Amino acid sequence: MPPSNPISDVKSADLELVERIRGGDGSAFEALYRQHATRLYNLASRMTGAKGEADDLLQDIFLLAYRKIGSFRGESSLGTWLYRLAMNHCLDVLRNRHTRMGRQTESLDEPEADPVASPVPILSAVNRIDLERAIASLPPACRAAFLLHDVEGFGHQEVVTVAVASYDLW
Amino acid sequence: MTCGELNELLVDYVDGRLAPAAQRNVERHLEVCDTCSALVTDLRTIRAAAFMLDRHEPAPEVWTRLQAAVATEPAPKSRRLAMPGALGRRSLGEGGNWPVWLGAAAALLLATVIGLLPLMSRDANLATDATAGAGDTEISVASVAAEFAAAEKHYQKAIDDLQTIANQDTGELDPQVASVLQKNLTVIDQAISESRAALKSQPASNNAQDGLFDALRTKVALLQTTVELINEMRKGNQAEAGRKFQTLSQ
Repeated sequence: MPPSNPISDVKSADLELVERIRGGDGSAFEALYRQHATRLYNLASRMTGAKGEADDLLQDIFLLAYRKIGSFRGESSLGTWLYRLAMNHCLDVLRNRHTRMGRQTESLDEPEADPVASPVPILSAVNRIDLERAIASLPPACRAAFLLHDVEGFGHQEVVTVAVASYDLW
Repeated sequence: MTCGELNELLVDYVDGRLAPAAQRNVERHLEVCDTCSALVTDLRTIRAAAFMLDRHEPAPEVWTRLQAAVATEPAPKSRRLAMPGALGRRSLGEGGNWPVWLGAAAALLLATVIGLLPLMSRDANLATDATAGAGDTEISVASVAAEFAAAEKHYQKAIDDLQTIANQDTGELDPQVASVLQKNLTVIDQAISESRAALKSQPASNNAQDGLFDALRTKVALLQTTVELINEMRKGNQAEAGRKFQTLSQ
């Protein structure tokens, strides 16, 4: 096995991709999109419960990423940075939706009134539809944690890295 | 341990992140508490269901629209970047840099395949030798033994490498997957152990050699599938991860 430092290798690859995007290389931005689009699409769709708007959400997330790529300093991986940005955007969308509906601003950590959530019967079997519904009924912060950890496969530390930095309500 | 105390440890237990002593405490409580035991079962069921949720693809037009939108944007502002070496001060555990792990796994998988190439050549050579007949190159017992030892070394190296990267992240595997993996590893290790014993008693036996190689190959394949499964999970490719899990379960 050739001696190499995989941490530096990935770090270098991230920085190289960012530099190419900054330099106006369209194929580099497309590579970033192809690498993360599906996962972010599903995350955004489940996070906001807006499947019909998921395409627009995804476009917004990547447009934001393009605009903010100059702020990427390489302190975390590009993937983590992108998920943080996506999660932040999803939470903003949810907040705006609450505002538009004329509801009083409330902490996203505060559980919403939910007939499914309390009391929770012990489930003997869970099908996907039930689970999708249950995810949609979670308060946003809990939903974010569940989606990142259980659906997307992030470790606990990564969940904290993405979520804490993306919202100050955690 | 009370039910309340178990609640504090529940997620770490289901994630397989508890220290052995704490895990034993939890297991002792679960043996006598049906409610907590049912809760653990439910959590595992939910975890497995979450893992298998459908994954939808964005419409192809999204990229087209995005391209058009980006074309109207000014170039992103540049900022001085941190150099790769700076990350060296940060451990994987602290940083949670999963793509780093992916890179390492990919590199090791590649190295494993490369490491096994001589062995594949050996198998091909032996097959060629067998079809060529005794008139060709004479293979001495000593050379076969040396070749066998080298080949086994390659396998063991591959297994060790894969085991290392699999161990790094099996804590984050779904407990159901981890349980299947552990069960299969136990069976294969037993087969390797028995094959070694057979070979020791009959060093010249082709069957004994083949048996050991088969067992080693199976373990390499199992560990490779495990690493691939973790990679697919990390990449968010649930469908492929599901297929890998099916392979793992067979």
